[in-house]
Amino acid sequence: MTFAKRWTDRLEENLIAFLLGMMTLMTFANVVARYVFNSNIFYALELTVFMFAWLVLLGASYAVKKSAHLGVDAIINMAGSRIRRILALISAVACIAYAFFLLKGAWDYWAPFANLYPTEGRWFPLGFDETTRGRGWYETQDIPVPFFLNWLSDVFNDGDAYEKLPKVVPYLVLPVSMALLLFRFLQAGWAVWTGKIDMMIVSHEAEDDVEEAAKRLKEQEEAM
Amino acid sequence: MEILILFVMVIGLMLIGVPIAVSLGLSSILFLLTFSDSSTASIAQTLFEAFEGHSTLLAIPFFILASSFMSTGGVAKRIIRFSIALVGHFRGGLAIASVLACMIFAALSGSSPATVVAIGSIVIAAMRQVGYTKEFAAGVICNAGTLGILIPPSIVMVVYAAAVEVSVGRMFLAGVIPGLLAGTMLMIGIYVMARIKNMPSGEWAGWGEVFQSLREAFWGLMLIAIIMIGIYGIPGVTSAIFTPTEAAAVASVYAFIVACFIYRDMGPLAARDGQERRNIFQKPQSLITAFWHEDTRRTLFDAGRLVVTLMFVIANALILKHVITDEQIPQQITSTMLAYGFGPVMFLIVVNVILLIGGQFMEPSGLLVIVAPLVFPIAMELGIDPIHLGIIMVVNMEIGMITPPVGLNLFVTAGVAGMSMMGVVRAALPFLAIMFLFLIMITYIPWISTVLPNAVMGPEVINN
Amino acid sequence: ACDEGEVVIKFSHVTNTDKHPKGIAASLLEQRVNDEMNGKACMEVFPNSTLYNDDKVLEAMLQGDVQLAAPSLSKFEKFTKQFRIFDLPFMFKDITAVEAFQASDAGQAMLDSMQKRGLQGLGYWHNGMKQMSANKPLLVPTDANGLKFRVQSSDVLVAQMEAMGASPQKMAFSEVYGGLQQGVVDGQENTWSNIYGKKFFEVQDGTTETDHGILDYLLVTNIDWLNGLDADVRDQFLTIVHEVTETRNKESTAVNQAAKESVIAAGGVVRELTAEQRQAWVDAMKPVWAKFEGDVGTDNIEAAQKINMMSN
Ligand code: NA
Ligand code: NA
Repeated sequence: MTFAKRWTDRLEENLIAFLLGMMTLMTFANVVARYVFNSNIFYALELTVFMFAWLVLLGASYAVKKSAHLGVDAIINMAGSRIRRILALISAVACIAYAFFLLKGAWDYWAPFANLYPTEGRWFPLGFDETTRGRGWYETQDIPVPFFLNWLSDVFNDGDAYEKLPKVVPYLVLPVSMALLLFRFLQAGWAVWTGKIDMMIVSHEAEDDVEEAAKRLKEQEEAM
Repeated sequence: MEILILFVMVIGLMLIGVPIAVSLGLSSILFLLTFSDSSTASIAQTLFEAFEGHSTLLAIPFFILASSFMSTGGVAKRIIRFSIALVGHFRGGLAIASVLACMIFAALSGSSPATVVAIGSIVIAAMRQVGYTKEFAAGVICNAGTLGILIPPSIVMVVYAAAVEVSVGRMFLAGVIPGLLAGTMLMIGIYVMARIKNMPSGEWAGWGEVFQSLREAFWGLMLIAIIMIGIYGIPGVTSAIFTPTEAAAVASVYAFIVACFIYRDMGPLAARDGQERRNIFQKPQSLITAFWHEDTRRTLFDAGRLVVTLMFVIANALILKHVITDEQIPQQITSTMLAYGFGPVMFLIVVNVILLIGGQFMEPSGLLVIVAPLVFPIAMELGIDPIHLGIIMVVNMEIGMITPPVGLNLFVTAGVAGMSMMGVVRAALPFLAIMFLFLIMITYIPWISTVLPNAVMGPEVINN
Repeated sequence: ACDEGEVVIKFSHVTNTDKHPKGIAASLLEQRVNDEMNGKACMEVFPNSTLYNDDKVLEAMLQGDVQLAAPSLSKFEKFTKQFRIFDLPFMFKDITAVEAFQASDAGQAMLDSMQKRGLQGLGYWHNGMKQMSANKPLLVPTDANGLKFRVQSSDVLVAQMEAMGASPQKMAFSEVYGGLQQGVVDGQENTWSNIYGKKFFEVQDGTTETDHGILDYLLVTNIDWLNGLDADVRDQFLTIVHEVTETRNKESTAVNQAAKESVIAAGGVVRELTAEQRQAWVDAMKPVWAKFEGDVGTDNIEAAQKINMMSN
């Protein structure tokens, strides 16, 4: 259990680091291409932007796991533990509802690009809308298809070769990340229910850094 | 009326501890499902569009990364030394040097809390050591740290530019004079206080120390040059080299190189386990291994995590923006406000008040995403320069960070200095007066914001 | 806001409402639909990309979240590559030839060519012929050698720039003015109304009247939505659409002409090409045609060329 936990932590952390690193290098390479070689990686911008979306959307569920999402804790810090627990439970329900609606929306958005059917029903999925036209043919703007994805055209485009990467690929992150997000919010909700945690947020973006900085400062003062 | 329900819901959810991003997103979804015909798929589409359609926002992860490499790299230490060498000998010199250090660090970093952490963690101790009170030290840092978002580069400016589609380069230039002005006003304020209260002054260590410390800090300061020359060029010498987004990416790569290979505060050449730092000839393979060294991975991950939480808020704020646009609420507000005969002065006061109140609840960039589209059309009708409006908003965000009950810099300073929130609030108060004076100047003297961008880039083209 | 029982028609576009040819046409359409179809239909216009940009609006349309849009013709290359004909350099001699082609059987067939994928073209909306500007004089294609040109995402336009020996660059539209001025890119191509409206001429050495390409828009709707309307509502709506299209297209030449004159009046340099110089451009671009002939269809190219000859 702890091994699996550590392993997924590591995987998610490396993915976050990797995506950010690749975004930076890709953009940097494009500058070099332009100024040193008077050339251009035309798809660099679009590819970087997709990596950006993958980074944040996949990272969002990791942030839930680590209770790292930003929030306002002024009120809950004033509340007694009973109220605090109730508020945390309400928060958990809100988060689960959010992830649920977004998962439905993400599926509805992505499915046609995979020639699948979106769900019917406004608030809740009530079956599939089989009148929807497939959009497997829909391509991104600039990104060429890497050779190892050539099989996509057979699956999604009746064998017609793609000139550009089909949208089904970059948008896949939506249903995947929202499913993960729902899963992590359900876990967090359970942790609140069983009393393991009493809030799902941090109050500001620099909480970890501040802790470290405070420690450094304290050490300096003690040395004085 | 509907809009009121929406905002009450957003704020209500936030106050009970729902993550800001979820408060924004869930309220928008419920609002859309209830009042509009649009699909839930359009929400997911907007979430992805936050990235796909706003390539200017790409500057945010890159500036955060550059700043992370710079903080890890001990650049702050070198900047502080340089600042002390320059102005430390005045009365209240260490405090004045701290402001200067914040200004310089602000030119490397796009965020205010990052500035407080980097500079504050060092100078607060130093100031106490020479006899300042902890409260005074915290007040100085808490205020000067807000310059992080006013002096370019600035994450908040990138968000504003993306939200209302003005040029990021123009916004950055617009922040230069106000940033220098605010810094100078703070320094003068401190100097006056120092004279009255007879605060300590340091020794003038001579030009030797100035040059020595400048040489030490040089590689860090070069980053500012790379960003500014890269975006704007030098007239007669070089044209610009990259867009603001690319500048941010180049800055990250540069900061990585400086931290790993020049300062060697991190990466394979850094001093560790009692061993001195090594040079590249002793360990040439580090040119390659630095890319996946544990320190690099850690810095990328830490920056990435910050990007995730910040951008998730911004993306959800963009969902809210989409939903209110879909319901044509900005138009309604514009026509209502114009019908009441709002002039520019009244309008700007209202904007200031909205932002100062909103800043109590919201992460600044998220707030901007929501407020900008609501007030921007009115501002255009009233003939207010969009760049000027942007700077007003940024300065409001700064003040929001240092006013109770909730303020980013208050939290961060309290955390770093180990003080209570109220303690920091009281400490920040005298300087807050200076910032308010500054806000009034910025609001009613558009020239301060617009003269530099207009001189360098020509008058603003208003597209709408 | 719309009343209960009215068909809601959301029209999302990316320009202003009162200066740009597309924005003016959209405003006129909005006004006429809301006046003449009051009680039956109601149109809401979302200008300035406030709701969707041109890439996302077609997705939203297929999803049923938007009913009308008018992206530039290159955006439809994803739906059918036939639309590449409008991006091919020097395919059309002038805006009259463009108009004749669009009105021809070939042009009208293209309106229906995306039905299978869910879109119905309603009409071509003109902006006008594209011109080229750069930070140095452009008289023959080799003048563009080694320059960096900002282009829209389109394989044809990328190939066109490469045929000139220039390096095509991608850049967000809001950064183009600054990019040209600061020298991140050297040149761009656009219609007179955009060159004037965005003030690109201020930050360029000059603009060459190449008329090398065309920037038009296609007014489109979701075909399932259109088919689902009551017959009388649909007919009345389509009639208004056609009338507005005709009225505004007649004005477009004048709008671009006025923009060109405004550029000159504001001190912008405008260069005209001699017949020889122009031929050099045409020759340089020919390989681009060959490259995309298969996508566009030889019959379409022939139809266009026949029209060019006829209007001689
Ligand atoms: Na800054
Ligand atoms: Na505040």
